Amino acid sequence: MMENKDRDYSNEDITVHWKPGKCIHVTTCYKELIEVFNPRNRPWINMKGAPTKRIIEVVKKCPTAALTYSWNDKSKQEELKEKEKKTKKTEVKIMRDGPIVVMGDFEITGPQGQTYNKMKMSSFCRCGSSDNMPFCDGTHRKVNFSD
Amino acid sequence: MAINETIKIKAIENGPLQVSGDINLIGIDGNKIETNGDVFLCRCGQSNNKPFCDGSHKKKGFKD
Repeated sequence: MMENKDRDYSNEDITVHWKPGKCIHVTTCYKELIEVFNPRNRPWINMKGAPTKRIIEVVKKCPTAALTYSWNDKSKQEELKEKEKKTKKTEVKIMRDGPIVVMGDFEITGPQGQTYNKMKMSSFCRCGSSDNMPFCDGTHRKVNFSD
Repeated sequence: MAINETIKIKAIENGPLQVSGDINLIGIDGNKIETNGDVFLCRCGQSNNKPFCDGSHKKKGFKD
């Protein structure tokens, strides 16, 4: 689903999709490639800052999938989707001093037995202080949760 | 368990996060942690065996 704060950035090969609602500021993108991902600049993504291959590498490292990419060329994009389908296992990532980030196909049951709509990505609280259990709401920063 | 079986994630009330199914579990250092069967991940922040639950939530009175 495209929300109105979402943005697309293209070069001649690929389009990088940015979903700010998913970002939990792990800072991987700009630590790896400030030439492209610079939060101080507007627009903050400069697709001319690095070769396509390097941009893809860094986009793939985004733990929350706030950054994703697609090929502008349709047949290349379909190829990529097929490949992903075949190789993807659900990934459960422990973020240092932060939440558990789960990506892929999964079902969630809450502490009171609640069920949730299927999501492709969720962050679960690990610090014990979230006001939105079982999900992360960023409180780990306030309470200085550390591993 | 088959790869395409749906992963189930259950937040146990006042306890850990139970993850069932064939997953890739990645630790804070970015390395894969080998898993065998269900994993129980600490949700209370108090475990001495993070990211896994060690039962500390009971001692600390963790409440959802």
